[in-house]
Amino acid sequence: MTINNKKNIILEEYENEFSYKKSKTNLDIQFNRIAFIFFIFLMISIIYSIQLLHLGSLKSDGEVKSIPSIKDYRADIVDRNGNYLVKTVSSIDIGISPLEAIDKEKLLINLKWIFPKKNYVEVEKKLNKNNFFKFEKTISLINYQKIMSLGDKSIRPEEKLTRIYPQKNLFSHIIGQIDNENNGISGLEKSFDEELKQRNKPLQLTVDTDIQFLIREELVRFQSIFRSKGSAAILMNVNNGEIISMVSYPDFDLNKREKVVDLNFINRATKGVYELGSVFKTFTVAAGLEEGLIDTDTEFLNLEKRLQCGKNSINEYDNKIPSNLTVEQILIRSGNVGSVRIGQRLKTIKLKTFLEKIGVLKKIKFDIEEVGEPILFKWGKCKLATVSYGHGITTTPLQLAKAYAIISNGGFDVEPSLIKKDLENYQQKKRIIKAGISEKINPILRKIVATKEGTAGLANIEGYEVGGKTGTANKTSIGGYSNAKVNTFAGVFPISNPKYVLIVLLDEPKTSSDYVYEYKNKKGSYTGTPFNTAGWTSVEVAGKIIEKIGPILATKHMEN
Amino acid sequence: MKQLALAAIFVLILITSLVKNSTKEIEDQILAINESIRPLKSELEDVLLEFNYLSSPEKLVQYQTQYFEKDLIKIEIMKIKEIIENDENLEINNFIIKNDNK
Repeated sequence: MTINNKKNIILEEYENEFSYKKSKTNLDIQFNRIAFIFFIFLMISIIYSIQLLHLGSLKSDGEVKSIPSIKDYRADIVDRNGNYLVKTVSSIDIGISPLEAIDKEKLLINLKWIFPKKNYVEVEKKLNKNNFFKFEKTISLINYQKIMSLGDKSIRPEEKLTRIYPQKNLFSHIIGQIDNENNGISGLEKSFDEELKQRNKPLQLTVDTDIQFLIREELVRFQSIFRSKGSAAILMNVNNGEIISMVSYPDFDLNKREKVVDLNFINRATKGVYELGSVFKTFTVAAGLEEGLIDTDTEFLNLEKRLQCGKNSINEYDNKIPSNLTVEQILIRSGNVGSVRIGQRLKTIKLKTFLEKIGVLKKIKFDIEEVGEPILFKWGKCKLATVSYGHGITTTPLQLAKAYAIISNGGFDVEPSLIKKDLENYQQKKRIIKAGISEKINPILRKIVATKEGTAGLANIEGYEVGGKTGTANKTSIGGYSNAKVNTFAGVFPISNPKYVLIVLLDEPKTSSDYVYEYKNKKGSYTGTPFNTAGWTSVEVAGKIIEKIGPILATKHMEN
Repeated sequence: MKQLALAAIFVLILITSLVKNSTKEIEDQILAINESIRPLKSELEDVLLEFNYLSSPEKLVQYQTQYFEKDLIKIEIMKIKEIIENDENLEINNFIIKNDNK
């Protein structure tokens, strides 16, 4: 009511009673509350600014690209020296969609100018059919710029990743092939398929391109001299199992991406399962020494020239071989009957256990899947006799390399490997053969090469102290053996401090009538191959290989 | 006491934001450098591939027969010598010591 009265008064007197007065309120806001609110705002703004800075940071495209999820990506593969063996490169294919061509005739003239070597009768036919077609695969950058500068909508560039192999045939069996869906189908491409698709860094191998080339060159040369069906060679470090070279011939150019169906192209070094003959005598002697049943100077007297075991007879290869021989002489002269006698002294279990220990009886684990499986057999009296001199027992050249590495390196186990490991990843050496066996076997292996009684004189290359054992075996055929041979040499060098094992295998070699042999243990030369044995074939190849690769191995520092 | 705690928190946040800011700047710089290295890396890989191809043993043998047919000769390993520096004296030894282990 009071208010109403007052209003009335104002209207009557036309008085403006407005005057500024400090408003009074019951709210009592303290200063620290306001400060707190400001503080909260400040904090929010700081957090926001941090967030803003964070959001404003640059993001790397490279980070995205470094995750190899791109279609068709596979990591590169390099050798032990970092040289590319396989490289994934991006390439551009050109396709043409004729329906979108502005002027077909003009387009054809321009294409002829850029790609003069193509068959344009075919191209013209395809253009007139009006269906999309691939015009040119993997074009150069210059041609890409030229073709795109035409500005024709019908030209469709398609970027893709291609795998190229700069060493062509050199590592075909090791690297293997990939299919059109970018999946590995053989070699390391298959066994490391997933890893190669995921890896950022190149996969480094233990192989050496230069040595691989030199070994392959010799195998190719002697393939025409001895007209063999195929050949294989393995060079391995005896101390850590690193494979420096592994060649199987014939091979194929990986860049051609051909489907290999011919069985002659198998990887003989790892997949080929062979009866290797006398190279097994070293194992028989080593097993005897390991068991303490013989020593190198143990004599075997009145050795027969011929033994009968069931229907089969065991003969000496060399009829001039003396009847009384020491263990050392049995190995040097490659005596079959003497080896049988050592085997008989060992008995089945001990010889079998030893062969299992050095890894020649069962399938070996390896970095590629193409690994052969030694043929199983039933042990018996006759089997013991034949196995003692390397017959009736099969294995792969890779397993032979492993076994010779163990025998010569002091008796330590090695796992053959193609993948370069860091030094810390090498496992502690595990001894599987008694100490002192290598010290007894190695000098005998040297004598096989260095003395005239030995069977491997042609591998006696000055300066490299080569030791080794030969093996000549007839190939099996239905119901027995054929005349075709497998000639093998298992070499170790330098024998005073073994570093490398070299296996050379010739599959079905033939004698050569005009090849000139240079004697190593005496002066002079000899024309023509007198016998189709390892001593006259694979040993000669091994000698030539060591002559060529020796300077590289000796002078080029190789770690481990 | 409360004011002191609030001030401390404020100072810490401020320092954190400053540090983070400078870290981001460094990160950006690193990224810029990495980005400039990336094409160089790719170029290096291509050049290395070309080098590997041109200096592959197959090519070297081809160049040898093409350009240095008679100039390059094989040296016997036994003729290679090793020079050893021994208290201001130079000692020349055979690189491979002939072992009479026969």
